[in-house]
Amino acid sequence: MKLKELIDKFELKALTNIEDTHIKGVYLSDMLSDVMSRAESGSLWMTIQTHKNIVSVANLIDLSAIIITNGKNVPDGTIELANRFYVNILSSPLPTYELAIKLVEAGVK
Amino acid sequence: MQEEETHIIEIEKIKDSLQAQIITGNNIPNKFITGVYASDLMSDVLAYGKSGSILLTGLNSQQVAISAYMAEFKAIVLLRGKIPNDDIKKFAEGKNIIVLSTQADMYEACVKIANIKGEVPVIKEVEKPVSKAKNITEHSFKIDGQDFASAGMVSTQIKAILKSIGYDSKLIRRIAISTYEAEMNVVMHAKKADVVLKASDEMIKVSIKDEGKGIKNIELAMKEGYTTATEEQRALGFGAGMGLPNIKKNSDKLNIESEVNKGTLIKIYFFVR
Amino acid sequence: MQDESCKHLWKITNIKPCFIINEFCYKCKKNTTYFSLEERPPIERYQEGEHFWNTLGYDQSIRFDLQCKKCGKLVKMEELAGLMMCTGCEDNCKVYSLMKELEKERTWVYVAFGFLPFDETKQLDKEQISVLEDYFNQRRKSSTSKIKIVSGDLIENFSLCYGNIIKDVDMLSSKPPEN
Ligand SMILES: [Zn+2]
Ligand SMILES: [Zn+2]
Repeated sequence: MKLKELIDKFELKALTNIEDTHIKGVYLSDMLSDVMSRAESGSLWMTIQTHKNIVSVANLIDLSAIIITNGKNVPDGTIELANRFYVNILSSPLPTYELAIKLVEAGVK
Repeated sequence: MQEEETHIIEIEKIKDSLQAQIITGNNIPNKFITGVYASDLMSDVLAYGKSGSILLTGLNSQQVAISAYMAEFKAIVLLRGKIPNDDIKKFAEGKNIIVLSTQADMYEACVKIANIKGEVPVIKEVEKPVSKAKNITEHSFKIDGQDFASAGMVSTQIKAILKSIGYDSKLIRRIAISTYEAEMNVVMHAKKADVVLKASDEMIKVSIKDEGKGIKNIELAMKEGYTTATEEQRALGFGAGMGLPNIKKNSDKLNIESEVNKGTLIKIYFFVR
Repeated sequence: MQDESCKHLWKITNIKPCFIINEFCYKCKKNTTYFSLEERPPIERYQEGEHFWNTLGYDQSIRFDLQCKKCGKLVKMEELAGLMMCTGCEDNCKVYSLMKELEKERTWVYVAFGFLPFDETKQLDKEQISVLEDYFNQRRKSSTSKIKIVSGDLIENFSLCYGNIIKDVDMLSSKPPEN
């Protein structure tokens, strides 16, 4: 699935400029070291972490996007950094599990 | 208020679908859960987790068991083959929390649990009659700063006392979460603190008086996601005051007095309705 | 079998969760970092010879090594304390100059740094740095951008650098994540 398609389908809010890309899997974790060591390149990463650090990790692994769950407020510093490094950040009001099962039902793998 | 949908899933089915092993709680009857929550951040679990749920987490620490207890989770699944240590096991066993361990990662676990079919009939929990304390009871406790081994123990005791008195479980949960946040603040940022719990049939008050760095700007600290300027300052204790938004959210009244380099007095009030 | 002609294909291995502990000696003002594999961060004040160590802070992190999927060659990463993404800082910063150069072709600069104090501990050598760089670039298979990893030696004063260090902040606390 393409990122822009996903945004429409799941009513995600784009917090940064969006560069459309293919989603190649989903990774859930709130631990950066975890994402750094295990997430596959191109994955969609769902987390409630909003610290600037998430941009460094997403950029390093080249994730397709970060979805901030629980509708958490993302600080401006994180958004600015993400725009500068072309990291896509989206937001959903749903908790991680609820959004994850919606993706499963829609067949996003 | 909107009725919330509850899904009931038997833990046995979760165990099978995740090919998990049960670490603690094998002998607990009626093993079912009413919700699923996936997170590695315990602040998040305390703030948003719903009681009766199962927690999916990759974090293997005593804080996980304590947070699950505070937020009244029924079970914990440790992901990616993590096995809890004896402290966690003992705590979970004492609090009737079921702990499972699976090789699955968080997404895989969500997928598998979402695919579990066949719901068991909804078992309505019988509302226990609320028996309020007739007289005011008072208990005091001490917290030592930097004592991570006992972090969370004071709020655990407070929760147990309130339970034995027989307050409403939702009220107890709010008190437990607020007290836990405040306790963690002391452990991380202060030298020590005295805690006093006063419970009556009208109000429950928890006051925490610490000796420490104090909070420079209380208004700022009350904002969610409040941060101090630099890592160094944070390491030196200027991060004190984190967790206040969650305490405020869970309490009926919150009063903070603080003096920089002396300490902070937090009074948290809950009305018994 | 280690094959000199092998075009190595790296995978991450020996992943261990750990804490990175930051200690400070009030007497000599020395700042140190080290890994701890204990279950809880060891937070203590203790005397060691002429030093009086105090814990300044700790964060959760991981240790790992890299191994070639084809020939089995193992490259240990024991000296790696962390990775920092250069986000631009002082004009005279060597890492920043490099970043400005490489940013045009979407190559992102990360600093692989060792433990504090930098002048007393062994930092990563050239091979480790290049293996680390290859590993991340191989992992970013279809990517339109690249990763450049440089040694922490390039940074003169680490505490003045604005870079963004990859680590888990406050994982064990119940406070809201730092913004
Ligand atoms: Zn090879
Ligand atoms: Zn720099």
